[in-house]
Amino acid sequence: MALKKLGSPAALFVGAAAFLVTGLLLAFWYAPTDASTMGFSQKIFYFHAPIAECALLAFAVAFVAAVQYLRTQKSVYDRLGYVSVRLGLLFSLLVMATGMIWGKAAWGVWWAWEPRLTTFLVVCLLYAAYFVLRQTVEDETRRATFAAVFAIIAFVDVPLTFFATRFMPAGLHPVVFTTGGARMEGSMLFTFCLTMIGMTLLLAALLRLELAEQALKEELDELKIRAEAGA
Amino acid sequence: MGRRQYAAILRKDLIRELRTREMLVSMFLFVMLALVIFHFAFSVRAGTDLTYFTGGMLWVTFVFGALLGLNRSFAQEKDEACLDGLLLCPVDRVTIFLAKMSGNLIYLLVIQVLAVPVFSLFFIKTSYAVHLGPFLLVVLLADLGICALGTLLATISMSSRARDLLLPIVFLPLVVPVLIAATAATTGIFARGDGLGSLGGKLLFLAVYDAIFLVAAYGTYEFAIGE
Amino acid sequence: MATDDTHEIEVEGLSKSFGRRPALHEVSFCVQAGGFLSIFGPNGAGKTTILRILATLLRPSGGRASVAGHDVREDPMPVRAAIGVVSHEALLYGDLTAHENLRFYADMYGLADRESRIGELLERLELSHRRDDLVRTFSKGMRQRLAIARAILHRPRVLLLDEPYAGLDPRAAGILDGLLAEIRPEHTFVMVTHALEKGLELATQAIIIEAGEVVFQSAGPVDVAEFAVVYREHVAEGAVA
Repeated sequence: MALKKLGSPAALFVGAAAFLVTGLLLAFWYAPTDASTMGFSQKIFYFHAPIAECALLAFAVAFVAAVQYLRTQKSVYDRLGYVSVRLGLLFSLLVMATGMIWGKAAWGVWWAWEPRLTTFLVVCLLYAAYFVLRQTVEDETRRATFAAVFAIIAFVDVPLTFFATRFMPAGLHPVVFTTGGARMEGSMLFTFCLTMIGMTLLLAALLRLELAEQALKEELDELKIRAEAGA
Repeated sequence: MGRRQYAAILRKDLIRELRTREMLVSMFLFVMLALVIFHFAFSVRAGTDLTYFTGGMLWVTFVFGALLGLNRSFAQEKDEACLDGLLLCPVDRVTIFLAKMSGNLIYLLVIQVLAVPVFSLFFIKTSYAVHLGPFLLVVLLADLGICALGTLLATISMSSRARDLLLPIVFLPLVVPVLIAATAATTGIFARGDGLGSLGGKLLFLAVYDAIFLVAAYGTYEFAIGE
Repeated sequence: MATDDTHEIEVEGLSKSFGRRPALHEVSFCVQAGGFLSIFGPNGAGKTTILRILATLLRPSGGRASVAGHDVREDPMPVRAAIGVVSHEALLYGDLTAHENLRFYADMYGLADRESRIGELLERLELSHRRDDLVRTFSKGMRQRLAIARAILHRPRVLLLDEPYAGLDPRAAGILDGLLAEIRPEHTFVMVTHALEKGLELATQAIIIEAGEVVFQSAGPVDVAEFAVVYREHVAEGAVA
């Protein structure tokens, strides 16, 4: 009983907020300022990286949902896939936004064709195509099936895209979106873990909420169709 | 029987393509037009050397040329509702995939055979001993990935309302890895005289890409083509 | 009539929904080997859906169906080898000749005696003189005749016909009549049709489908009077003799 409460959207939101706010405070007052040229702007990393990882997590959820849909044909998996891709796309856009802000603050450029940003740009275009695909296939079963197929191949394409960007010629002034040296120091690591957990909880909360909302929406559509048919 | 069916589908598609007499001429015109457009698009200064761009221009031409071919490969099946006839036959869906993919591969190869000499003639200013062997390997590996992915997506797009618009939108982002690797490899070969040694990483990457998407297509084609 | 346990076609509790739209609901019937089932019903009743499920082109949402001893969902390949389908779409490639079309399908079905079988059928359907002409240039009647040749090319045991007489001129209809009569023995038929007289004349059993449900079913020879009552009620004010 308690576990169920713990998993409810409300609880998840509260948990997420707790972790994120704490992480934010720690980022500004506890974690040391980065020693490299990035300086203060490096602190965006505490959100930029978790958002990126949550985006990928969302796409992974969509991948699993897609596989399950193809196996069972149950519409709940199609719904989960749709909602996860939507959240993943939203998070990906935020990755780009935070990345661009960071880039401007630290290196004075709004954009650089470095591996991570480039990959996420392609990822945004890729998963935006997911929605175009859904829009243009009319038959419901077909739409769900094709969306599932696409979600599967899109997800395997993400690491491939990332590796491919290594073949791009490097820029004159490399823009590197990591934080200080090879390892993070204790306080940095702690702060990072907090925001990471917080962001993941936020993703989970949003997923639960959107899934329920989508289910209600579909039920409403069905009732509308039935009402029209009966009339 | 699988092999006989594969050959039958491939033969049918090739006969239909060759019957369109303007096919070869159209493809040649497409290559020439692409060449001319690139020249006008990039030559902003007199005497611009586009040698370093040749690889990129070639692969852009190939990717969009492939799109043209992919659209055709299923257009008639859908328009004449022949797809049902094909699906009624006791044929493995994967056999259909392989036959369609082979047809698209041939189409793409023809465009490439036309484009490479012509582009080299017009754009490559430096004369290196170009390593043809590695180049062929790059082309074949990249083609395989493009056609495997493209055939799978063309099958899906077939059912869409906006078929011609959807295919490029779903295809192009997914083909980005191939584009990056193939362009880098080709530019190396044509502009710097790269040999097999420096291409190793890119060739391996292309091979991995191909393997992954062939497996993905094998696993999902049944869903892509049926109802 | 001797009891025959092996039903060539068995449909039990068949249901189909397209997304949330129901198309078929608990349809059950069976056809014995050598039987001829005619399916009647208003447009959109689900008749074509039944045929497409039997042809393995659609997966049922519920229930089961088996053709020639194989389940359409679990074991579609042998079903495909055993059936021939004639629909109002000719399923022919316009840019290929008649011969090339038949050759393609002969290869797809793995026919051993490809050329002789093609020649024989082109003769039988009076299309030999057009064998090397593009199907695009054929009239509707000729296209339908070629479609029939395509359907029986691989000597299927079961024939699924979806409005095969639609759009046929009298000559073509006559050829089809003759052909059906010729292959009648040792073949099982399911025909969807609006042509009442033809449908009842050929049938050994009939069902009427409306809104995805069976509203009339005859286990054996059709009682025309009873059929007429149900037909008028559910389908149309038509003349049923």
